[in-house]
Amino acid sequence: MEVEKLTIKRIHEGLQQKEFKAEEITKAYLERIKSYDRQIGAFLTLDENSALETSRQVDQRIARGSALNILDGVPVAVKDNMCTRGLRTTCASKMLEDFVPPYDATVVEALKHQGGVILGKTNMDEFAMGSSNENSGFHPVRNPWDSSRVPGGSSGGSAAAVSAGFAPMALGSDTGGSIRMPAAFCGLVGVKPTYGRVSRYGLIAFGSSLDQIGPFARTVEDAAYALEGIEGFDPRDSTSAPGRTKEDYAAAMKQGVRGMRIGIPREFFAEGVNPEVRRIVLRGVKSLEDQGAEVEEFTLPITQSGLSAYYMISSAEASSNLGRYDGVRFGYRAGEYKNFEELVVKSRTEAFGKEVKRRIMLGTYVLSSGYYDAYYKKAMLFRQKVRGLFREAFETYDAIVSPTVPMLPFKLGEKTQDPLEMYLADLFTVNVNIAGIPALSMPAGFSESGLPVGIQFMGNHFEESKLFRIAYALEKDLGLDLIPELGGVE
Amino acid sequence: MKVTKEEVEYIARLAHLEFTAEEALNLAGEFTAILEHFDQLAQEDLSGYGMDTFEKEGLRLREDRVVPFEHFGELFNNTASMAGTAVKIPKVVD
Repeated sequence: MEVEKLTIKRIHEGLQQKEFKAEEITKAYLERIKSYDRQIGAFLTLDENSALETSRQVDQRIARGSALNILDGVPVAVKDNMCTRGLRTTCASKMLEDFVPPYDATVVEALKHQGGVILGKTNMDEFAMGSSNENSGFHPVRNPWDSSRVPGGSSGGSAAAVSAGFAPMALGSDTGGSIRMPAAFCGLVGVKPTYGRVSRYGLIAFGSSLDQIGPFARTVEDAAYALEGIEGFDPRDSTSAPGRTKEDYAAAMKQGVRGMRIGIPREFFAEGVNPEVRRIVLRGVKSLEDQGAEVEEFTLPITQSGLSAYYMISSAEASSNLGRYDGVRFGYRAGEYKNFEELVVKSRTEAFGKEVKRRIMLGTYVLSSGYYDAYYKKAMLFRQKVRGLFREAFETYDAIVSPTVPMLPFKLGEKTQDPLEMYLADLFTVNVNIAGIPALSMPAGFSESGLPVGIQFMGNHFEESKLFRIAYALEKDLGLDLIPELGGVE
Repeated sequence: MKVTKEEVEYIARLAHLEFTAEEALNLAGEFTAILEHFDQLAQEDLSGYGMDTFEKEGLRLREDRVVPFEHFGELFNNTASMAGTAVKIPKVVD
């Protein structure tokens, strides 16, 4: 069975028509993971027994004639910063290496309730801080398209898992681009929903005003089903948006793009963007224009300042959120300490990786007395400016288009010496999180050396349906073959 | 803006982290470069914006209701050292 070619939709149809069983599908995916994941490094924990048991329960319901949800029997990989009750959740950090949550995240509950088969927990940059998945406290992840290159981060494991055909769907989290960037680097659809659309209850916090959970899938339709499955108001998350009706993105996306207005911000296509990336993304824009969309260039001068504001805000929030890791109630505790202060300091110093410590320090610095006004407050005021500029733009445009990442997937080790160089990979993604708007990245094509290039569509708050409409139209026209040969190009 | 090794050591104390002298010096260099890049934010015209310019509503609170918690045992499964229902740590105050 070539499971790497299956989609959520195909699995649903196959189960309904009894072409195959859920247990069969799950076994096939688990076999593929065992055969190939050693060279990719996508998973940190596999939950084989539970996955098979869940799939058997789905088969029993099918045998009884029960109606199936779209996610029933669908194997899912979950980023290892989402709590799974009884199943190790590490955030790819030594700090939580042995942590077993006593509860499920809301999104995990939702998947289980709908019959989703959780295969295991995927690798990531430690505490979601990174853009390449080289900051994992355990081992890096490799890009299935070229194993000498990074898959992007921080949700690199989830992206690599879907790209390599280890699951048709995965969940990631996005604080400054951590779904969209690996989606672009791995040739996938990745969605960062509107802030508040998907519950953060059970998502281990990095930047609480920026974090959102979202799906990876190989097709736009599958991404639509996945988002439908996890979104919704949650009273346990005080930032969860109330009063929203359930949306049917999969139905709405087939309306075409005729008459839709798409804005091209010139600052997102300026010097510094890889020429192949620019060419491929603009070819995608042309396709939409040929299909009847109105495309117009405009100015949106937020990239460089947005990156600065993002790193100040996210680091500040991280320094606060990661204050809970002190070796007292849970997490790593140092083996030797003379007093309480040493217990805390040594536990944190020994267990956190270099990038996590760097961001905690940066966040503490920008919040500290004497620097708060110059850095953090300024960043927060700029945040309001970004919201205002996007609000103005969406009075004219249905969506804004850009490359997802200004560069092609880079080699492992290429950007690890200079943190600022790594941060620049987020240039086109961070302002989406600052404003809380939704964005979708999808494959736009391949470079001459066969590396995936992502195109990003940004929308107004709660207008994910427009993004799915545009993405579906482009996907149909491009007709890309998105299954890599595992082994890659050295 | 140049960040000194002494500032890094002060911030480390606030963050409950410790670094060797060499690490602190390296961090000082990194922060100097990062904050120099961030300085372009100072060029932005931010007049007319407040911290909550586009916030629609204040904090939404839920009803303060007592709900029995049934998973007390599981809650401390990840604690390194317990004495009965108390978490065991070194004396906080000498």
